[in-house]
Amino acid sequence: MAAEASPALVLGGAEEQPLRDLASYRAVGGYAQLERARAMTPQQVIEELIASNLRGRGGAFFPTGRKASFIPTPDKIAKPVYITVNADESEPGTFKDREIMLRVPHRLVEGCLIAAHAIQSRSVFIYIRGEYSTEYDVLQAAVGEAQGAGLLGDVSIVVHRGAGAYICGEETALLESLEGKRGQPRSKPPFPAIEGVYASPTLINNVETITTIPVVLQVGPAEFAKIGVPPDSTGTRVFCLSGNVVRPGAYERPHGITVRELIYDIGGGIADGRKLKAVMVGGSSFPVMTPDEIDTRLDATSLGQRGLFIGSGVVTAIDDRACIVQFALRVAQFYMHESCGKCTPCRVGTRWLVQLLRAVENGSATEHDLELLLDVCDRIIGKCLCVLGDSAAMPVASCVTKYRDEFHEHLAHGGCPFGADSSLDRLFAPVDQHHLAPVAHEAGV
Amino acid sequence: MSNDLVRVTIDEREVHVPKGTGLVETALAAGVEIPVFCYEPRLGAPVGACRMCLVELEGIPKLQAACTLTATDGMVVRTARTSTKAAEGQNATLEFILVNHPLDCPVCDKGGECPLQDLTFRYGPGNTRMSFEKLTFEKPIPISPAISLDRERCILCYRCTRFSEDVSEDGQLVARNRGAMSVITTFEDEPYSGPFTGNVTELCPVGALLPTQYRFEGRPWEIQNVPTVCGMCSVGCNVNATVREGKVKRILSRNHPEIDEGWICDKGRFGFTHLRSADRIVDPIKRVRLRGFEPVSWDDALDEAERLLRAARGRVVVALSGSETVEQAYALAKLVRVGLGSHEAMLPEEVSHGLDAYGLPLSAIRDAQVVVVLGDVSVAERAPIVDLWIRAARRNGARILHELDEQAVHDADRSVLIWSGPGGRGGATVAAHAERLGLAGKPGCGAFYLPETPNGRGAADAWAAASDEEPAQAESVGLLIVSGDEAANDPNVRALAEKAESVIAVSMFHGLAVGWADLVLPGTSYLERDGTYVNLEGRLQRLRRSAVPPAPDELAWLSQLASRFGVELAPHAPSVFAELSERIYGGLAFGEVGERAPLRGYAGAPAHVEAPPLPEPEAARGGLRLVCYKPLFSGPAVERVEELQFQRPAAEVELARDDAKARGIANGQAVTVSHNGTSVQLRARIAKDLRAGVVRIAREHAGDLRGTVEVSA
Repeated sequence: MAAEASPALVLGGAEEQPLRDLASYRAVGGYAQLERARAMTPQQVIEELIASNLRGRGGAFFPTGRKASFIPTPDKIAKPVYITVNADESEPGTFKDREIMLRVPHRLVEGCLIAAHAIQSRSVFIYIRGEYSTEYDVLQAAVGEAQGAGLLGDVSIVVHRGAGAYICGEETALLESLEGKRGQPRSKPPFPAIEGVYASPTLINNVETITTIPVVLQVGPAEFAKIGVPPDSTGTRVFCLSGNVVRPGAYERPHGITVRELIYDIGGGIADGRKLKAVMVGGSSFPVMTPDEIDTRLDATSLGQRGLFIGSGVVTAIDDRACIVQFALRVAQFYMHESCGKCTPCRVGTRWLVQLLRAVENGSATEHDLELLLDVCDRIIGKCLCVLGDSAAMPVASCVTKYRDEFHEHLAHGGCPFGADSSLDRLFAPVDQHHLAPVAHEAGV
Repeated sequence: MSNDLVRVTIDEREVHVPKGTGLVETALAAGVEIPVFCYEPRLGAPVGACRMCLVELEGIPKLQAACTLTATDGMVVRTARTSTKAAEGQNATLEFILVNHPLDCPVCDKGGECPLQDLTFRYGPGNTRMSFEKLTFEKPIPISPAISLDRERCILCYRCTRFSEDVSEDGQLVARNRGAMSVITTFEDEPYSGPFTGNVTELCPVGALLPTQYRFEGRPWEIQNVPTVCGMCSVGCNVNATVREGKVKRILSRNHPEIDEGWICDKGRFGFTHLRSADRIVDPIKRVRLRGFEPVSWDDALDEAERLLRAARGRVVVALSGSETVEQAYALAKLVRVGLGSHEAMLPEEVSHGLDAYGLPLSAIRDAQVVVVLGDVSVAERAPIVDLWIRAARRNGARILHELDEQAVHDADRSVLIWSGPGGRGGATVAAHAERLGLAGKPGCGAFYLPETPNGRGAADAWAAASDEEPAQAESVGLLIVSGDEAANDPNVRALAEKAESVIAVSMFHGLAVGWADLVLPGTSYLERDGTYVNLEGRLQRLRRSAVPPAPDELAWLSQLASRFGVELAPHAPSVFAELSERIYGGLAFGEVGERAPLRGYAGAPAHVEAPPLPEPEAARGGLRLVCYKPLFSGPAVERVEELQFQRPAAEVELARDDAKARGIANGQAVTVSHNGTSVQLRARIAKDLRAGVVRIAREHAGDLRGTVEVSA
């Protein structure tokens, strides 16, 4: 693969130094695409996006141009239309939006303004994860600078900080939270393109998606559509490589690079001479990948054939110190903690999963409990109001099915066979990181 | 019409319903039940939270929440009856719901009438696979003195919080925390207060929110629900009185879609315990010597009553409460007017027939485009359910005005005028406005007057129907008959009693009548009577006796007393009604009044009724016009209900924002309200619905303040 050879696009110009101020961004051709876009009709911009087949980088991989085309034009509706940028990046293993905001904040602003022109919106909200305080400052400064330079025109950009809920990264929960309500997902339909924020048509896109928009215009939709793995997985991704690798980081590469290339060629392989045990691909919300699957290319089609997902471009290497039951338990604990509590299967099921996994881990479970564990996963998947329930159940179920022997060892051994040797080091923050409300106590398990 | 119908197939049954019908209702039309917990159309848009209603939709791989969908043409739906996948989905939902549910049905007040129990039997798993510790919470938690919350039983359907947010719009009930630890709570743990809180106990599909009054009071197989009508205000909400062994144990709503839509206020719901107040009068009480009072037998009481009636020599005045049934008022009138030739009554409030041409069901308010609320008293204090209809109208996009903007009324297709407060002349004032604005006969347009008494109109009409004679001006009052507690509580009635040679009072409570009446006869409550009431729409409704009163009811002794004066009077409501109906209700039979009574209106209601000129608006002379009102949570019954004491009005003066601002007064600040040298210390509250130049104080906190007042920090 010519992975190394391809130039960075989304992070283009910021390979060495972040392009935080307007002048340095302008020096690499920044805001030229905004000018070009504004010379086009809104419809032309949308057509270019459709032609590029740019798809959502937040995890759902929905065609961006098509989504924009769903927004009613001003002659069709008396309401204002809004753009909401999802910068509530909270998925374990995902840190690409943070890198983008820190390194090319102006490209995000430029993307917002092009999108605003495309759907004829005058109002952009960027909903940024509450814990991202430096990122907030950097972004706010970029918005201010762009405004000072008169780039915003009649568009306003409001950067709104979240308050620490993973669920607010779900688009409709984000809208609720933005409106000042409890962050819980809405039932769809109506979809945000018809009734989003303040019951008005709203285009919601991930930070990376929006930041890719100037790139699409820069390289041209036809050229962009050739990058990566056409026709579905076009363009590049800012892959989030982390875990037990030698050189973790955010690496922008075209779709189609293999997991092996990322971990071994780019990431320098597994740290401390350990062996690769599993890979979290796409994010913590998806089934895990086993070492014999790592030659799979990172594009939606190749991954889909294996029941895997590209998600938000996460590749987290898990080495052989990790107990897979502990891993599944930690993932389940995360989702139990972050379940919003609105719908039954997720609210109750995530806690039950934690209880079952804990029983496996401490040796009190039986073979019957493994089947129950899978059945509970099955009873969550596809039955919840939003995808958070599925996000908890899919990785857990994949751990049981792909690492069943290790689960059995727990049963046979009367507890975790790793003893004190197991470690989730560099994979997850410890459970008790929540000082005010420790996970285990809070959910009463 | 058929263009608007769509064809939907549910479990292989074809059904045609109007486009946009909810899928749950569409299935019902096909005779198929889709079970629900969180779905409740009265709470606004569906939320799809509980996942009980999962169905399979042709063409969509994932199960769908039926409650969030509406019927579209050609839709093919499979419910748990015919789809294994849907059945598994519902089974899964119930299994999850029961994972942390305590299953304490044997000691739960909801047991036996619990949707969770019912649906578990029909759709749920027969056993449990949950072997870990269930989630536990401190319980029960009183979220107010009237309502307790069991968080372990709660299935988080969010019906209660949605009611609080989207129906009563008080925003007090909220969910706190996240995920499995989500709990229902009040904001800052304040008691859940307001006129409508009790509705959440009926909305709750499990035994989580329960009325404290009903705790361990009865099981479903020991109780009967008596369909009757609330007599606590002029709305006349349809209710069921739950009765066990002859005693009322709780009041439930009984949805009349035109009147109450299944909501009732807390006064109507929790006020019934005044029936068993410790100072309830159960025997007649007679004055002996100067200051002594003692119970006497009914024979002695009737002898004494006869003596007092004869001694008055035709100079009898009857002070009505407006809470008598139509039949009681008629019986009293017939005794006094026909038997004694005394025609003078003191009505509790003015009654006008002026609105008869503008009558509408209350539900029409919801569909109005403009609602003008005049009179300066909060609607919720006078006729609480009307407040919910107005809120619904506003959510539908109606303009709610507190000044008469004639242009707005003219411009709207559907406008409703409402008079809530003093100066309404029994509805004549608002009728005059309606006439001037051309609302007569205009579809969806009308006017309401909110009376202070539950059956003032019915009592006045019944009184008038008993005789055509006019009252003669008597020099003195020989006998004052005080009919009912509200009359006994009325300062004007008390003042007249001072002048009367003798007084007979009919009252439920010792504290009210004993001490100043020569003879006190035990009164009954609306829950103990058979008969009819006329509500503020002019709708005749049927009361049914739910509980046996501790003493013979008014009709029983009135008929005996009447016979001593040669007046024939039946002791039963149906017969009295039959006699009266010939005169004023077009011969309608008692049995035809109906359990969900229609709005019959009044035949030949005149569009024009002579109304007195409107009072000139108060000239702005720096003073503020004081409006004193009778709070919802006040009166003899409410004073005797422990669970309602926390709802009694605070010692507050309500001001319009501008008036407060002009005086440098902040919300919650202690202020002095003064007039002519008298002053009262109160807390200021800024009221959004109040016009500038008007201040509002509950009667019990107003002291001697009258007319124009000044408020200062």
